[in-house]
Parts: sequence; structure tokens; C-alpha cells
Amino acid sequence: MLVGLLLCASVALAQGDAKRGEYLAKAGGCVGCHTEARDGATRYAGGRALKTPFGTFFGPNITPHPQAGIGRWTEADFIRAMRSGVRPDGAHYYPAFPYPSFTRIVDQDLRDLWAYLRSLPPSARASRPHELRFPFGWRSLVWGWKLLFFKPGSFAPDPGRGARLNRGAYLVNALGHCGECHTPRNFLGGPKKGREFAGASLAGGGGSPNLTPTRLKKKDDGEVKDFLLTGITPDGDVAAESMAEVVRNTTSQLTPQDLDALIAYLRSLPPLPDEPK
Amino acid sequence: MKKSFFAVGLAMTLATGAAMAQVKPEILVKQRQAVMTLQGKYFGPLGAMAQGKAPYNAQIVQRNAGFLDNLSRMPWDGFDPSTKGEKSHALPAVFNDDAKFKEAASRLQNETAKLYQVSRGGDEAAVKAQIGAVGKACGGYHENFRQKQ
Repeated sequence: MLVGLLLCASVALAQGDAKRGEYLAKAGGCVGCHTEARDGATRYAGGRALKTPFGTFFGPNITPHPQAGIGRWTEADFIRAMRSGVRPDGAHYYPAFPYPSFTRIVDQDLRDLWAYLRSLPPSARASRPHELRFPFGWRSLVWGWKLLFFKPGSFAPDPGRGARLNRGAYLVNALGHCGECHTPRNFLGGPKKGREFAGASLAGGGGSPNLTPTRLKKKDDGEVKDFLLTGITPDGDVAAESMAEVVRNTTSQLTPQDLDALIAYLRSLPPLPDEPK
Repeated sequence: MKKSFFAVGLAMTLATGAAMAQVKPEILVKQRQAVMTLQGKYFGPLGAMAQGKAPYNAQIVQRNAGFLDNLSRMPWDGFDPSTKGEKSHALPAVFNDDAKFKEAASRLQNETAKLYQVSRGGDEAAVKAQIGAVGKACGGYHENFRQKQ
């Protein structure tokens, strides 16, 4: 009997915990890019347009539908996609799929995420092909990009930082992939070294603000927390929709401890001057 | 007959009057910034109520919704082409993408008008949902037309 229980427990661990995975999916904000931007859209059935200087990417269907989604994938396929940015057929993903951040997600969390994705209702909605500018339609170019800018490997806690800062670093750098928008990029679309979280110009003329203490020191923890819970500043200013969505899907859904850890980590960053707009 | 001539004459005088009185670009920028400040002032508490961060108060909602309904019509003529060179957070898309800008403006006006309507009924859940819709209209507009700060 005891052996049976132990076996069950180890199977459950090996298979991943869908409930835990659901929380991790919120912390990763997966639903944003993998759901169409209209009311009543099927969650995780794909369709969101992501405009970049290289063209427009469309988040694919990641429900377990065998043809339209990823129903035929194995857990190993999923882990390889997240860790290495490689499709089951061996082709490279464009880094619009933020695997440069997701590669840092630890094994158990990946298994839990996979268990959650398997539990979603399958949707037959067909994924839309990306619309990229010449010559970025050539996927083989991504190989070179990865060589230059992609460092695979899961997050290793820094023993000198304490549990809270390590948790914050993990939420911000691995799951939350905050740097994908808040770290400026060079002309090849790679993150600029030494400019992490300094804010960036985004396609369409807008920009993302500086998350380092240079700007954050002007706001106390209560203000930052309120903003991340509601998307509204104390003056009643409403965040732009791309961040408002992150607030709805991710930051407002975090446990109070995780939100505290996230803010503490941002406060521990080296202060950097704003990126020239 | 005479009366209507007079009316036409008066209308024409008023029209030329309006054309002649060129408001300075920096005042137009101030106008729209003032409107946005007030929108924030009266929207902030509603957002907090919709998310359960502040106790729901139907009277405040109704009053603020009325203010916001009027405010939602006020910023737009401040985005005059003469203000292009002024220092502000407005993105070039404000002046380059007229159709999209007008669409965003009318979306805010429609959602705010709807909020005013539902705020006069007693359906708290509907009011909260509509506060969310107004927030999305604000954020959708900021997304494309305001420098993120």
C-alpha cells in the first residue's frame, strides 16, 4: 500500500500538476499571445497579432487539438520547445515566442505547465501563418540569431541573494519574460547587453518604460503594487492596453508573496538611465 | 425672412469668428492634458470600485460617470495639426493615422456614454463591467497614441 502511494506520488510528480501549471501559466502570461484579441475568443486557441520591425507574428493554437493545436506533442516536445526554442520537427522558433526567457523555467514547472495545457478543451481553430518582411521569412536565419543571442539553460538561484530576491528574479526573467518588452533591442533584435530593463522603443512609435530603480525609486511599494493589481496609477492614469493586459492576466493574479518578490527584485536591479526614445 | 437672413449672418460671423480666433498650440496641448488629468481624477475611484479595492458607491459612480461623459468629448479638438511640434507625450500616429485616431476617440465616447447610462440603473455588476470597458478604451487609446511613461 505504501509502495502504491509512493508510486502514485512519483507518477503525479513525473506527469506534472495541472493546478500548479495553471498558476504558472498566469505567471507566464501565455494566454495573451495565444488568444485572439476580441471578446469571446477561445482561450489558448491562438490568433493574437504581435507587430515587430520584422513583421507580424500570430500566436498559434496551443490547445490539445491533434491537428489545429499541439495535441500530438509529447511532454518532451514541449520541454524542448520551451528550453531550446525548437519545434518537434527540428525547425527553430522565431524569438517572438519568448523562449530566451522561458528557457530559464525549471523542469518541474515545465512539466506542470504541460499538464495544464493538456487539460484545456481542444479547439479546432487553425493557426494563422506569420506575415514577415523579406528576408525574415527564412527560418534558418533564426539559427544565427540564436547563436548570437540565445543562452539556453534553466534558472539557477544565486545563493547570495536570499529566497525572496531569487523568486522575484525567476518570476521576472523566466516566467514573466518582462525583459522581452522592457529591455531595448539592437538592430538584429537581440537584447542590448548591460541595458536590461532600461525600457525600450516598440514597433509603432511607442515605448516601454524603464523598470530599474532610476524610475521606480519615485514610487513606493504601495503604488507599484496597486498599479500591478489594477493597471491604474494613484492619479487615475490607465496603463496602455499591452501592459493593462499583463496586469489582468499576470500581475494581478500572482500570490501576494510573489508580487512582493517581483517588486523587491526590480528594486534590486542596477539603476540605468532611460533608453533614448 | 428678415429674421432668417439675420440668423445666417450671425452664423457666418460666428463661423469666421471661430476661424479667426486661433488658439495657441500650447494652450491646445494644455487643454487636452487638463481633460486627461480630470478623466484620471474621476475614473480612478471607479476603477478601484470595479476591482473591489474600494467599497462600491452608486452615487459617486453616477456623478463621476456624468463628468466623464462630458470629458470624453473634450480632448479631441486639442489635437490640432498646429500642435505637432509641441512637447507632449502624443505619438506621431495622432496626426498620421486619422482614421484610427477617430475610431479610438469615438470608442471612448461610446463606452463612456454607456457607462453613464448603466450608472443610472441599479445593476452593480453591469456598471462594474462597463467601468472595465471604459478602462480598456483608455488603454487601447494610450497603446497607439501616447508615449509610454
